[in-house]
Amino acid sequence: MRRRLSWLAVLFVTVGALAVGASRDGGPLDPGDRIDAISRRIACPVCDGESVYESRNPASEAIRSAVREGVRAGGLTDDEVIAEVADAYGAQVLLLPRATGLDALAWALPVTAAVVALAGLASAFRRWREAAVQSGEATDDDRRLVERLRAERDGDGSGGSR
Amino acid sequence: MRAGAARLGASLAAVLAVGLLIVLVRADPDAGSTAQTTLLDQPAPAVTGTLEDGSTFELSRRRGSWVVLNFFTSTCVPCQREHPELVAFDQEQAGLGSLGAELHTIVQHDDREAVERFFAENGGDWPVVFDDEFRFQNAFGVAQVPETWIVDPTGTVRGRVIGEVTAEFLSTTIQRLREAL
Amino acid sequence: MPALSVNLALGNAGLLITLVAAAVGAASGAVALIGGNRRAIAQTHLFAWPALLGTVLSVAMMQIALAQRDYSIEFVQQVGSSTTPTLYNVAAMWSALEGSILLWVLVLVVFTAAVALRFRSRRDDPLVAWALVVMYVVTTFFALISFGPASPFAAGSTVPVGFDGPGPNPLLQNHILVLFHPPILYLGYVGFTVPFAFAIAALVTGRVGEGWLLETRRWALFSWGFLTIGILLGGWWSYEVLGWSGVWAWDPVENASLLPWLTGTAYIHSVLVQQRRGMLRVWNLSLLVATFSLTILGTFLTRSGIINSVHAFAAGEVDGYLLGFFALVVITSILLIGWRGDRLRAPGSIDSPLSREGAFLANNVVFALFAFIVLLGTVFPLIVEVVQNRQTVVGAPYFDRLSMPIGLVLLFLMAVAPVLPWRTASTELLSERLLWPAWIGAASLASAVVLGADGWAPLVAFGLGGFAAGAALRQVALSTRRHGWRGLVGRTNGGMVVHLGVILIAVALAASNTHTHSATIELERGREVAWGGHTFELVDVVREVDERTDVARADVLLDRSGVYGPAVTTYLQMGMTIGTPSVRTGFDKDVYLTIDGTNPPSVGDSTVVLRVFVKPMILWLWIGGALMALGTVMSAIPSRLHRRPTDPTSVSLSGGAR
Repeated sequence: MRRRLSWLAVLFVTVGALAVGASRDGGPLDPGDRIDAISRRIACPVCDGESVYESRNPASEAIRSAVREGVRAGGLTDDEVIAEVADAYGAQVLLLPRATGLDALAWALPVTAAVVALAGLASAFRRWREAAVQSGEATDDDRRLVERLRAERDGDGSGGSR
Repeated sequence: MRAGAARLGASLAAVLAVGLLIVLVRADPDAGSTAQTTLLDQPAPAVTGTLEDGSTFELSRRRGSWVVLNFFTSTCVPCQREHPELVAFDQEQAGLGSLGAELHTIVQHDDREAVERFFAENGGDWPVVFDDEFRFQNAFGVAQVPETWIVDPTGTVRGRVIGEVTAEFLSTTIQRLREAL
Repeated sequence: MPALSVNLALGNAGLLITLVAAAVGAASGAVALIGGNRRAIAQTHLFAWPALLGTVLSVAMMQIALAQRDYSIEFVQQVGSSTTPTLYNVAAMWSALEGSILLWVLVLVVFTAAVALRFRSRRDDPLVAWALVVMYVVTTFFALISFGPASPFAAGSTVPVGFDGPGPNPLLQNHILVLFHPPILYLGYVGFTVPFAFAIAALVTGRVGEGWLLETRRWALFSWGFLTIGILLGGWWSYEVLGWSGVWAWDPVENASLLPWLTGTAYIHSVLVQQRRGMLRVWNLSLLVATFSLTILGTFLTRSGIINSVHAFAAGEVDGYLLGFFALVVITSILLIGWRGDRLRAPGSIDSPLSREGAFLANNVVFALFAFIVLLGTVFPLIVEVVQNRQTVVGAPYFDRLSMPIGLVLLFLMAVAPVLPWRTASTELLSERLLWPAWIGAASLASAVVLGADGWAPLVAFGLGGFAAGAALRQVALSTRRHGWRGLVGRTNGGMVVHLGVILIAVALAASNTHTHSATIELERGREVAWGGHTFELVDVVREVDERTDVARADVLLDRSGVYGPAVTTYLQMGMTIGTPSVRTGFDKDVYLTIDGTNPPSVGDSTVVLRVFVKPMILWLWIGGALMALGTVMSAIPSRLHRRPTDPTSVSLSGGAR
């Protein structure tokens, strides 16, 4: 009973802290931080995969200044600022693949893989449970085999070294 | 059933590996960048820069003539190499009178004195525009100099060349465009 | 110049000795094994020694050639310079493709010799002999590359008298870490060859039980540890040198080192399930094959110029070889696993997802998914290019976005898995064991909120970090209470120390990624500027010129208490200019100063434009890394006195399982 109360208290603290922290309005984003956030999403067009944020190439400096102007002008979302740069410099400055056409595969494949992996895990556990139910004998055999091997090894089964 | 799953997993891994191999074999490490741009056949951006004497250069006010913009820095070796070609091109166009194209150098992020010294030493008396606010660079999306753009008398972008150009190439391209207009 | 050509001749000779020894060793070993000639099998190990000697000779000659600036050798023309300081001149060997392959060969032959030495008492055991054959094949391959297309001892074109080379890339000669990062990373990369070789040997001999696994446990563990340290040192180097205040950019080369780390991490966890329950045999073999082939693939991706990366060396002629070898490894392994499929059938089953083995399995699925995503993102531009002939980039924001949920799931697993017993657990048990860790998690979340953290993802990371740390500390505390200091060592307890390091790193990354602030500040001499709770004042602009570098440094007084000197350094031999940051490190946050742009300030300038980053908790990344290294060592120490490493426990168990 006391433990259950303790868990409830943990839950309460966690949810409360998350709610306070996540909903807290950090104020409007500092323009400097916004420029950084945007320039992290744009590739330097001439320096092999570095972002504009990282790169010190003159081209990146120019793009940073374009981002700065876009942010200072106000009224533009991050995506719009990036779209303007991509219009001038070409789509190869986009570090995030778009969600259309072939590029969408970059997003779809990981999600598919995650779903397949989860489903595989779930079905494996179901199968194992069924197998254990159907042939309890075999599993016990294994248990004995494992026990014997472990006894042979060290005569102690608790999960220590090796 | 489990053997089936294992076989499925193995064949999946094999297919993935083979696909990866195909991609790796076929990928070409040196696929060059193309000179395509979304600005082609679109109005040139109305951007401004600063001329040597401190006055403002407005691209939109150059309508009526063919304009060639050459993006340049004094330290870039290909720019230095192509400079004599630009000098030849400028002289040639000057010979055409009012029909000739105007050449402008757009200086990217460079020291003013170094640029002036370069022009004094290597010739060339066309207008030099300092793009200190990166307006030309960002509007045209010029990542690396040298780059040369051709704008027609209506203010429409007609061509872009990434890398070095020759006088002959510029002249014939503009001649062809003129005839097509 | 007779003295000079000696380096070249002996260097080539050394590589040739290694090549011949490895090739003959592989061939004769395989013939003996197939023919069942026991005497010949027992001689397989002999070839490791000439192979080792040959490469040591080659490396010595390369170091001598670099020290003498022997410009009769092309490689030295490429990376040598009379102005390079001695330390960086030693490191110059791995500053370009040819030399780094030579380093690879060196690590490989050292590992091969170590295997021959460690298993000297079992020379006639076919498992050991086959493992050596596999190592010889791998050595043959790399020695072939090094002797042929990527020869570090190719004769250079004639150079004029007084010629001096450019020296290594400036980024590789301005921080001491370049001396350690590549060799340690290579120890990790190449080290996985040993468990891989034993895995292949197990498949070939059909002894696919747990014997080979136990024998290579420490090899895998140490390789994993070196890989971990190597990756972290790379992050540290990036932070100290590159000037954008980041430790990880998801650059293809970084990904190439992360990929084997991910599959290797999955392996050192799932191997416990096989040891304990005899399950997941195919999976473990596949993970080892994946780890090894990913090191080859990573080398191919980053050394062939196929992917653009700041790390990439100039395109070499080795890509065909590497790709061919990658294909060979993958195809051979898949065929072998398919061939032995019947013997690999697992005897047991996992009863409950709520068990230690269930958690390990979940961990493995998540790590495999992580590896898949990193691989996909890395090669995605190539896929787009092949299909649509279009240039794209997949960069850090993509990986950040996808790795965030994975990181959170892994933190959660780290919290729950250590308290789970094997076989099955009741919710009652979980509720008892997890209560205190959960309180620690809630407390760390609450204190993060009090300290002003916001955004749900970092907050969840802080909470789960505390939860996981609680679970790890619980295990260590219980174990030390029972066994004294010995409760700190052994697989489980050492593993918990590694977990604590990982948690520190995860929390530090979450904090520094979300709470970095930066600004571009114009400083004027003698006038204090305040930003972000700090004050900055330009003291002086100093110029230091020697024959190697021209350093323009801006001395900045930070918070009126210390002078920091971010600089722009021009490397005179190459004419390259790079910025050098200056960092004030602290337990709570770092203040990172760099000069904006690449134009060096001039002496007497009254203004300098600085780029300033304030980043929290960076120091804890390195402390976490040290903890991971410590935990790795601790987990290799047996937890009980009577289990000395010399005890033949693993041998007898493998004997039983055979």
